[in-house]
Amino acid sequence: MTEPPVRIGIVGAGIGGLSLALALRERGLQAEVFEQASELTEIGAAIGLAANAIREFARLGLVGELTAASTIPTELIYRHWRDGSRIAAHPVRQDDWYAKQFGAPWFGIHRADLQKILSAAFDAEHVHLGCRLVNITEQAGSVTLKFANGRTYEADLVVGADGVRSVVRRWVTGADDMVYSGTSAFRGIVPTENLRCLPDPHAIQFWMGPDGHLLHYAIGGAGEAVNFFAVVETPRIWLHNASVTEVPDEVPAASFRGWHPAVTEMIEAASSPVRWGLFTVRPLLRWYRGRVVILGDAAHGMLPHHGQGANTSVEDAFALAGLLADARGDDLETTFSRYQGMRRARTRQIQRSSQVTSTLLHLPDGPAARARNAKVAMVPQDFGWIHSYDVQQALAASGAVSVGHSRNEPS
Amino acid sequence: MPPDQVLAAMTEILGGVAGIDQAGITPETPLADLGIDSLMMVEVVVAAEDRFGLLISDDDWARFKTVLDATRYIDQAGGGLG
Repeated sequence: MTEPPVRIGIVGAGIGGLSLALALRERGLQAEVFEQASELTEIGAAIGLAANAIREFARLGLVGELTAASTIPTELIYRHWRDGSRIAAHPVRQDDWYAKQFGAPWFGIHRADLQKILSAAFDAEHVHLGCRLVNITEQAGSVTLKFANGRTYEADLVVGADGVRSVVRRWVTGADDMVYSGTSAFRGIVPTENLRCLPDPHAIQFWMGPDGHLLHYAIGGAGEAVNFFAVVETPRIWLHNASVTEVPDEVPAASFRGWHPAVTEMIEAASSPVRWGLFTVRPLLRWYRGRVVILGDAAHGMLPHHGQGANTSVEDAFALAGLLADARGDDLETTFSRYQGMRRARTRQIQRSSQVTSTLLHLPDGPAARARNAKVAMVPQDFGWIHSYDVQQALAASGAVSVGHSRNEPS
Repeated sequence: MPPDQVLAAMTEILGGVAGIDQAGITPETPLADLGIDSLMMVEVVVAAEDRFGLLISDDDWARFKTVLDATRYIDQAGGGLG
């Protein structure tokens, strides 16, 4: 090889950044990952890993470890906010329905466990903690990252995987493209045994009501805890600098007064009364500038109502790695343009659908809610396109070399 | 870009996404009649954005009912002139 070694800097050691580091390594490319936190401790919350991401991790041999830390839901159930009646239910683990349908399972997992598994599969030596990006400068032939701790890194290419508040995105677009959604959430993780009112504690369930909903699913190898996410249509305007703000103890449960006891019991059982503002990134025309490109929430931060924020960043990561490995002769702009061309419509479809879903989940009882109830009965048919997506097939269709799958080939 | 070229380009994009012959698409043809659902519409919008170098917000494209609506919007937004 006469080509010089490619210096790749990834900003952010979240799920997107670590997935990219692993995806690049699979393709024979080494990256350095820079993370502003001084330790790899993801926030205290869980995540749903869907088939579209797991099929990539499966190829890397990570499914055993993921399985040990995850719960596969029994069913996906939609319930009425007050009386708790089952509006619609779809099998997930039952009959192995989901995995058979989409070629890989769905896992509820703590973010910290996922981050631990991904970082262990990578290499601590190439993850640089305590590096908060403050500046990007371009010079002929390279780009330099400057961090608050005084460190610098000169790279041939930089990937911003630094989330919805991305510093890298601001450099790429020259604007603040973050938008407050007008909705916020309370979240928590509760021992399953403390939830005496909860029917089907190992299902993934949406409780849908006026101006809000509560989503929960179990996590841990034995479903020993339940992770919940309770969304309200307030405040209209977000006045805080941070995405998270403390609220008085009684606020989370009071926001769901009159709802089914399973809902209020779950919210009351959680500690730390904190409100999370839900932010998105407005659709962007370009995801790159010069030698710098963005992925995941930085590029297309979305509402979490399809549970696809992290899953689409995993898709982005494996797509970008495939295109970079396949195009070392081409200039970066050509490769970045291919990446954007492969990812922009897909992620915008999910971003848009998540927005529509937010409204549908928050309808008062009445004709619109009844129409919505008929729709949620069709969820596996209507939203299969999200879960059946296969990055390697998409790469192959775009003319790039895919690494294929050792299993889970769709029939 | 002159409006008739915008119209021609939009017709080409729609025909490609819907998988139908462009000859069957007139400016007044309702998009719904072409079988364009909301997922396909996002593909059309993203392709149009790339072609004309402008961003079409979700609120704006949700109002497009015909090829002509989309063409007028892009024309007024100055698409292709930059």
